[in-house]
Amino acid sequence: MSAIQTSAPAATPAARRGRLTYLGGRILEYLGVLFVALTLNFLLPRALPGGPLKLFGSPESLARLTAEERAQIATEYGFGDPIHLQFLDYLKSVVTLDLGTSLSDGREVTAAIADALPWTLLLVGTSIVATTLIGITLGVIGGMRRREGKGAFTLIGAIVVDSIPQFWLAMLLIVWFGVKWQIAPTFGATGPDGTTVAGLAEHLVLPVATLTITGIGYIFMYTRSSMLSVLTSEPVQHAHARGIPRGRLVRRHVLRPALLPVHTLIMLDIGFLAAGAIVVETVFAYPGLGRLTFGAIAARDYPLMQGTFLVLTLMVVLMNLLADLTYPLLDPRARTGANQ
Amino acid sequence: MSAPATSPPVVARDRRRDLLGRQGRVGAVLLSLIVGTAAYGFFILPDDAGKARVGLPYERPSGANPLGTDDLGRDLLDQLLVGAGTSLTLAFIVAAVTTVLAAVIGGLAGIGPRWLSSIIMRGIDVMLVLPELVLFILAATFLGQSFGIRAAILAVILWPVPARVLRAAVLTTWSRAHVEAARAMGAGQSWLLARHASYLLGPLLVPVFVRTAMRVIIYDATLSFLGLGDPTVPSWGTTLYWVQVNGVFLSDAWLWWAGPPGVAITLTVVSLALIGTSIEDRLNPNLQESR
Repeated sequence: MSAIQTSAPAATPAARRGRLTYLGGRILEYLGVLFVALTLNFLLPRALPGGPLKLFGSPESLARLTAEERAQIATEYGFGDPIHLQFLDYLKSVVTLDLGTSLSDGREVTAAIADALPWTLLLVGTSIVATTLIGITLGVIGGMRRREGKGAFTLIGAIVVDSIPQFWLAMLLIVWFGVKWQIAPTFGATGPDGTTVAGLAEHLVLPVATLTITGIGYIFMYTRSSMLSVLTSEPVQHAHARGIPRGRLVRRHVLRPALLPVHTLIMLDIGFLAAGAIVVETVFAYPGLGRLTFGAIAARDYPLMQGTFLVLTLMVVLMNLLADLTYPLLDPRARTGANQ
Repeated sequence: MSAPATSPPVVARDRRRDLLGRQGRVGAVLLSLIVGTAAYGFFILPDDAGKARVGLPYERPSGANPLGTDDLGRDLLDQLLVGAGTSLTLAFIVAAVTTVLAAVIGGLAGIGPRWLSSIIMRGIDVMLVLPELVLFILAATFLGQSFGIRAAILAVILWPVPARVLRAAVLTTWSRAHVEAARAMGAGQSWLLARHASYLLGPLLVPVFVRTAMRVIIYDATLSFLGLGDPTVPSWGTTLYWVQVNGVFLSDAWLWWAGPPGVAITLTVVSLALIGTSIEDRLNPNLQESR
């Protein structure tokens, strides 16, 4: 970080140029990562045992084919082509969203993903909002009251909820709320009477609770330590010495810088949560992307596996990009390009 | 928590206490208890403990089987005790391998030639985009579920984050005044590392080890719970897998069947977390610019 931060208005040509170069560089970097991710996804079915033909049938049905028939299929579908041509074909299929058909139920992979994605987004989105609100609030309070004894207890509490295995907490919630008290449904996303708002909300309760409880510990600890480092920083001490009232001090001088790193952390989390919801979606039989992925891997359904894996990776890349793009909106230093 | 170091430690005993702090000591005691349990399961219990039928299926807790039996009449307490060994051995082996990998790769990225450093960092960037859990499930499904393979998969997938942390630490250390002074006098990289930086960097390996062990325990249990564990070895995750398969939580049996392994996993991870956070708190804050 440079020592002198002149708060130049964002519109000066130099600043704008700095920002554009910065954004351009970042986007290039992301294109690079995207390319590698696509390549890995392309190689995935080719690297796993069984060869590329398994994209078209189960191992048992393939075993019945003669060597000649295999060779014929391979030429027909272009597996005899040089690898770079195969890669171009693959890229074309990704761009046109034609990801093949699932081996287990014959559905279009794109359709299967399109069916599952909204459920995951609903589940993960709701839990992210809940986790963020609770985690940040507790973290800010924990950071402000670190000397009041209770701080240690909240910290230990955070460590404990951070350590509970998701699948076990999910089971406990099912035991108590689903079986003993019977106040919340334990599986699926909708009730017997179709898609109603109440039914959706009801089915979200336990999965969201699982993701939220296991998620707040991390955000709490991160927010708390970020608060601590800002509270003891020189600008804040100086502001305090100038006699700025405590409320205003916290709102204007502490919260904004303290929550910057938390913002980045949460954005990265969103990308990974979709993949992390595999466990919760499996336990609660929630029809989302995680369960689809797990089912695809368990059934050795290569086309579906390739498709879901691609979407999960793209989500992480997108959230990374979004974190980078929104960061300058929150941090004026990044806006002027002063750090580059 | 972070007590300001106003007075220097007077005697060696105090300094050692300082490294862990009260929280860390609680964690250490807890962890020793669990390690003791694991040792008991490994050395004292017979080899087929937790695998052999000792009673009728679905027995309630009794004098002979303090935690009851599972659907095949195997003793659940034995499974819990043997599971401690399985979990901890895997965690410690993987954590050791990952720490070495992270130290070597992160170190090379920090002080190696520029081209090597940028290759490593781009590689880490890519690895961090791939969802870990999906990779584990994929690898466990296709490569098999034996102990060695499980350990290798975990180590290969877990090194990037700590490598990045250690690289940042190496860079910070290398820009410290005393290291720069030594370099200006012509000291080589390996001498700098051994003589001027090791005392700063060495302690950082402890939290890396502890954090990795925590993640291994959770991931291993999760994979076993999803049915991707080695069914021939009793482990906490595998016990919970059978809970899920048999729908145990519809009866009272969840209390002694599902409860203990979950508590054991949580306590193990908590004990490691207590040790890890208190050591991190006490390390030089200058070196903590992770990520």
